[in-house]
Amino acid sequence: MKDMTKDILAGAAGRRRNGVGDPLGPNSEIGRKLKQYYDELVSDDVPDRFAQLLSQLEQTEPAQKKD
Amino acid sequence: MAAVSQGFKADLLGAIPSLRAFAVSLTQNADKADDLVQETLVKAWDKHESFQPGTNLKAWLFTILRNEFYSQMRKRGREVQDSDGIMTARLAVHPAQHGQLDLKDFRGALEQLPEDQREAIILIGASGFSYEEAAEICGCAVGTIKSRVSRARTRLQEILKISGEDEYGPDAISAQVTGTAAH
Repeated sequence: MKDMTKDILAGAAGRRRNGVGDPLGPNSEIGRKLKQYYDELVSDDVPDRFAQLLSQLEQTEPAQKKD
Repeated sequence: MAAVSQGFKADLLGAIPSLRAFAVSLTQNADKADDLVQETLVKAWDKHESFQPGTNLKAWLFTILRNEFYSQMRKRGREVQDSDGIMTARLAVHPAQHGQLDLKDFRGALEQLPEDQREAIILIGASGFSYEEAAEICGCAVGTIKSRVSRARTRLQEILKISGEDEYGPDAISAQVTGTAAH
């Protein structure tokens, strides 16, 4: 029992030092904010100009392959 | 030149949200980011034959976008920041209160990182790439990415004055231990 407690405490101290295995994982404030920041950017509406651009590129292309 | 397949076009369309997110992370400017994405799409279209089907298209596109970003910066004569030459001046950021960190403060802190560190922590911590993939995208060694991510994280913690990361884990465990001891 005493040993187990020691292990748990050592584990906690180790995590405190190293920041739980994955330093940018869900237990890390930085990791959480980073994902929140990025997810917000990814979910931003894509302007039409990009779909238009790809259509333009497609039209200017010689001999479109049909298959 | 072989025609671009419909599948490739659809995949490009599907990658646009991620490309825009990465571009904003690099440029810190929405207009510049969209110009960068546009350039990336044109380049990707032109050199679609050099893409190996079955490999990671997102990584291939991120590589093109990143190269375009740095070549534009060089053309503008802007010195690429590197971690060693980092300025010491810092914007004052209010310390996080009760572990609640404002996203605006976080954005401000991210902006202060040198590009190489910012892109590394974004690729690993947000875009979901492995260290190997990130190293390939950035054209450097895996160890370099690891050290950039680690420096970026330390610096963000400094700027945001987060001292005890992992604030929940150990406390929960200590409480458990205390509980056991009381019996």
